[in-house]
Amino acid sequence: MKAFRLLSRTKLYWGLVIICLIGALTSPMTSSGKNIFLSYGNLTDVLRQVSITGLVATGMTMVILLGGIDLSVGSVMGFATVICAMLLTKPGWTAASVMGVPAAVAVSGAAVALLARFILRGLARGRDVSAGRRADIVLSPLRGVWMPALLGLIAAVAVAWFTVSQVQVKFGVLGVLLVTPCLALLLGAINGLLVVSGRLQPFIVTLAMMVSALGIARLTAGQDNAVVPVYTGSNATAAFEFLRSMLWGVLPVPSVFFLVAIVLFGAILRFTTFGRYAYAIGGNVEAAKLSGIKVGQVQFTAYLLSGLLAGIAGVLFVAQYRQGKPDAGTGLELDAIAAVVIGGTSLMGGRGGLAGTFVGVLIFGLLSDILQLQNIDSNVQLLMKGLIIVGTVLVQEQTVGHLIARWRFSRSHGLPADPKSADPDRLPSATKARFAREDLDEAS
Amino acid sequence: MKRRDFIKLSTSVAGAVATIYLPGGWRAAKAAGKWRVGFSQCTTLEPWRVQFNKDIQAEAKNHPDVDLVITDGQDKTEKQVADCENLVVQQVNVLLISPKESAGLTGVVEKAIDAKIPVIVLDRNVDTKRITQFIGGDNVAIGKAAGEHAVKLLGGPGKAAGNVVEIWGGMGTQPAHDRHDGFHAFTDKEGGIKNLLNNQSGDWKQDKAYNIMTTALRNNEKIDLVYGHNDPMAYGAYLAAKDAGRDKDIKFIIGIDGLPDEGVTWVNNGQLTATFLYATPGAEGLRQAVKLLKGEKLEPVITLPTMLITKENAPDILKKNGLL
Repeated sequence: MKAFRLLSRTKLYWGLVIICLIGALTSPMTSSGKNIFLSYGNLTDVLRQVSITGLVATGMTMVILLGGIDLSVGSVMGFATVICAMLLTKPGWTAASVMGVPAAVAVSGAAVALLARFILRGLARGRDVSAGRRADIVLSPLRGVWMPALLGLIAAVAVAWFTVSQVQVKFGVLGVLLVTPCLALLLGAINGLLVVSGRLQPFIVTLAMMVSALGIARLTAGQDNAVVPVYTGSNATAAFEFLRSMLWGVLPVPSVFFLVAIVLFGAILRFTTFGRYAYAIGGNVEAAKLSGIKVGQVQFTAYLLSGLLAGIAGVLFVAQYRQGKPDAGTGLELDAIAAVVIGGTSLMGGRGGLAGTFVGVLIFGLLSDILQLQNIDSNVQLLMKGLIIVGTVLVQEQTVGHLIARWRFSRSHGLPADPKSADPDRLPSATKARFAREDLDEAS
Repeated sequence: MKRRDFIKLSTSVAGAVATIYLPGGWRAAKAAGKWRVGFSQCTTLEPWRVQFNKDIQAEAKNHPDVDLVITDGQDKTEKQVADCENLVVQQVNVLLISPKESAGLTGVVEKAIDAKIPVIVLDRNVDTKRITQFIGGDNVAIGKAAGEHAVKLLGGPGKAAGNVVEIWGGMGTQPAHDRHDGFHAFTDKEGGIKNLLNNQSGDWKQDKAYNIMTTALRNNEKIDLVYGHNDPMAYGAYLAAKDAGRDKDIKFIIGIDGLPDEGVTWVNNGQLTATFLYATPGAEGLRQAVKLLKGEKLEPVITLPTMLITKENAPDILKKNGLL
């Protein structure tokens, strides 16, 4: 039984191992007898190819954990690619820089101000040991308002100076990495605002954003440009090539972004109050509200971050494929959702995590790579991907241990065990097996 | 924020935006021309379609007595049907349509014909014989031209040898199948030509072709020729080869479409070996419509010829389009 539990605890990783084994065993060889699938170049190719979907899936995981959904990420990424490509290739005040510069100034000012306030509050909490973790800290107006505001203003001015100086020439790597995600973050913020303050269904809000972001992207690009090409070294700065190069010859830069996002947000979900709140809200919104969690703030932040990550993904898309186009992210939201679900995050919210998403994204990427190496017909590839999604989710939901437990239970009691009756989110005194399952889900 | 406040705020913001921007974008329909020609375009998301619209608009400038109304079907059959119905209601004198697909648009084309509006169909045909004219390129012929050229590059008929990577357009689209069939009509005769990939679709997209080529490069140590069903995919394959440091090993990369700012530019830069023009029927379509309005009789079908674009003639084309 212990072995089974271990097996079902780690089932997610077994999927990955099996896929890798299949890949290694079926892989074609080079003429010198080297396994192509296992070659370092191929594996880093896969990591690079999944980075864009992976970044988007990272944001999507947080939104889905809260019981929401973000359908707009694909369009927002498309919008980001257009903005990024235009900033890189067109000097002066174009539609992209007119929107981007104020957005970057506002977002960076606000971000620095909030961060300063957060740190000051943390310091005050540290000084006043008796207050404890839960108590509300009341900051003096100087620390609570003026110092953060001043710091935010300084940051805003610095960013304004920097971006305006970039507008005259074309934007460089730092410029686009700053401005593009800020704009995408604002689109995410609109999603969040509509969901939280407008109290609308996330599905509808983000669907609307999906449609309108495509429209905005096309308006920004202009009627005569279905594609904004980026030729580094000729119409854009050659330094931009950094974003598709290999970092120290070891890891492709896009995958560094992806890995950092996974680790950073994984840590936030696991170790911070924000993360704990996210699980609590996803598990039961009403209970979370009643226990004093500011549900709106957490939800708003999740949509915001989802937009931000889609924006970064957009910059990486431009770097990799040398073009910005409004429809760059068509279907991306569905790929991201599929990866999140394969990773074991429940679409109902409250269960799952980023390690799962990482595995889900990798499973997807490795699968495409294997099918491509096997030179399998594109139509068959689509079919196989569908089968894999269903298969993995089946294994995810009906755990091996669970199936066996049910079989044993029904044999010893003559009753069918109902998997729905003891939902860990609603029943605090769940059975031991249930706790084990919950642990597993949190660990993943 | 309270919900009511939020709604108030958002309404006032929307109102403010509308009052500032709407008057600027609002122009009264002008009725200067003698004739109104409606053109229903199926999408403007692809560069080729953008060029198509540019061509027809440029041609419209030569005919001051024609008012051209262009609609965008946004790549949806139902939107394009609605667009056409709208143009019929506006009683345009001629309806030009470049349908998204054959079956879905046939009904509305017949409706227009029933309303005594002559219809000229561009690029993709519809399933009715009652249309006035069809203008389009011949994808099979273009595929054949590409295949013939590929055989020539790889050593000439009877002696051609080499490994060929073919990147398909969308599997569900007729042009991809035509471009495939035409190409293979020539290359399949050559015993020395080996096709490395089995129906790999890049969906007409540069990024997907890039990823297909990345894996193909891992999988095959020797690739001699890449044939992309359009230029962006051929270019995506070139980029993948370049990023893998193998762009010098691949001798020939062939694309199709020959848009000035894409294929022709890339050929001129030496990134693609050749591309084949798939001319947009925009200018020709409007010319034919004007002919019809002036009372001339039209031929039922006009097939636009293709053209081989290589480094020799690329600069001329770029100069003609003001890109060089």
